Amino acid sequence: MHISDQELMLALDGELPAQDAARVNAHLAECWTCRARRQEMENAIADFVRMPKPPLPPADGPRALLKAQIAQLNVHRDIAWQNRWVAAGIGALLISAGLMIGQFWRQSSRVMVVTVPDPKLTPGATVLLSPREVCSASSAKNKTVPVALRKKVFEAYGISRAEPHAYEVDYLITPALGGADDIHNLWPQSYADTVWNAQVKDDLEDHLRALVCAGKLDLGTAQREIAGNWIGAYKKYFHTDRPR
Amino acid sequence: MADARAELRVFPVAEDLAHPSALEREVVEQFDQMRERLLRYLLGFGLSMQDCEEIVQETFLALFRHLQRGRSRRNLRGWLFRVAHNLGLRKRQRTRLMEEIGDSVIDPTPNPEDQFSISQTQKRLLAVLDALPEQDRRCLSLRAEGLRYREIAEILDMSLGGVALALGRSLARIARVAEQ
Repeated sequence: MHISDQELMLALDGELPAQDAARVNAHLAECWTCRARRQEMENAIADFVRMPKPPLPPADGPRALLKAQIAQLNVHRDIAWQNRWVAAGIGALLISAGLMIGQFWRQSSRVMVVTVPDPKLTPGATVLLSPREVCSASSAKNKTVPVALRKKVFEAYGISRAEPHAYEVDYLITPALGGADDIHNLWPQSYADTVWNAQVKDDLEDHLRALVCAGKLDLGTAQREIAGNWIGAYKKYFHTDRPR
Repeated sequence: MADARAELRVFPVAEDLAHPSALEREVVEQFDQMRERLLRYLLGFGLSMQDCEEIVQETFLALFRHLQRGRSRRNLRGWLFRVAHNLGLRKRQRTRLMEEIGDSVIDPTPNPEDQFSISQTQKRLLAVLDALPEQDRRCLSLRAEGLRYREIAEILDMSLGGVALALGRSLARIARVAEQ
């Protein structure tokens, strides 16, 4: 009586109970048929392993995107955590968090949601301007990003050609606060995020610019706050945990 | 506004974002180790490269949430394959549905035969692999990824006996190619 394929497989993985393993080994030692069968199994896998493999795209873009998405999950979690103690808000917040995650899941099958930039790709960059120059310039709001630069941003974030319409390429530090037309200052912000979206960020930028131009806030500080964690800056300067 | 003095100052990376949590680092490490293997496995579903990349992203976000909730770290490799497998199946169902509606056309990955110069034996082997039932082929490719038979059974939701049968069938066919 020969050893079954199933037992042979388990023996190959070293997963047989000791007693069975001993019996199988004893049988293998004297049975050419079963030894050949075992060899056949290993050879087939080896043939499969040796098959030529198609080349894969580099991992940099997808890795950056994963990090950005994890950062976003953390942002959502922070929001939920901080509001946890606000009794009146709990129910509504949990529901909206649920909707947000649900929406994220639905969308993520087609489009990656990016709410915060990847700090390695988009640390923020400025041109050297004095506060007076910044404040005297007619507001550079809604400045369009050159097409070539947009393309580079999508490439850096690993966003494929099919999806770009789902994103606005946004300045991390707005030109209205001295932000530069530079790849280090640009990131693809999802339209899909309904909470911390581009409109909310615009509000923060307007507010910080007003503070800078009123002499109440240092320009460098404003730039750093936005570049470091714009959602954190929003919460700080508007004294709120959620967009107004 | 940006005149001749438009000297560029790139900000240092913010402290809290530059030092990702240990959890994030762990997930990214897993990503670096497993991305290619998962991609290759998913390509076997006949999905486009873009779809496969998206599924891999979803898989690792699921891993992040899994670990964030303090769930088990036992056999993460098997866990990743299982999640990717299920997402891959779901994706393909949707793609097929869309095809039936005539909404979009699937973008099949190029046939390896067109991409490489391969030996006659490998060509025959490819033909055999193509002709294998899908589940049998998955058993093989998971085994080739170094997964144990028990893990394969779990990922594909089969009995161990089922895996044995599937592999038995594939082996017989592959052996015939080798003899030619």
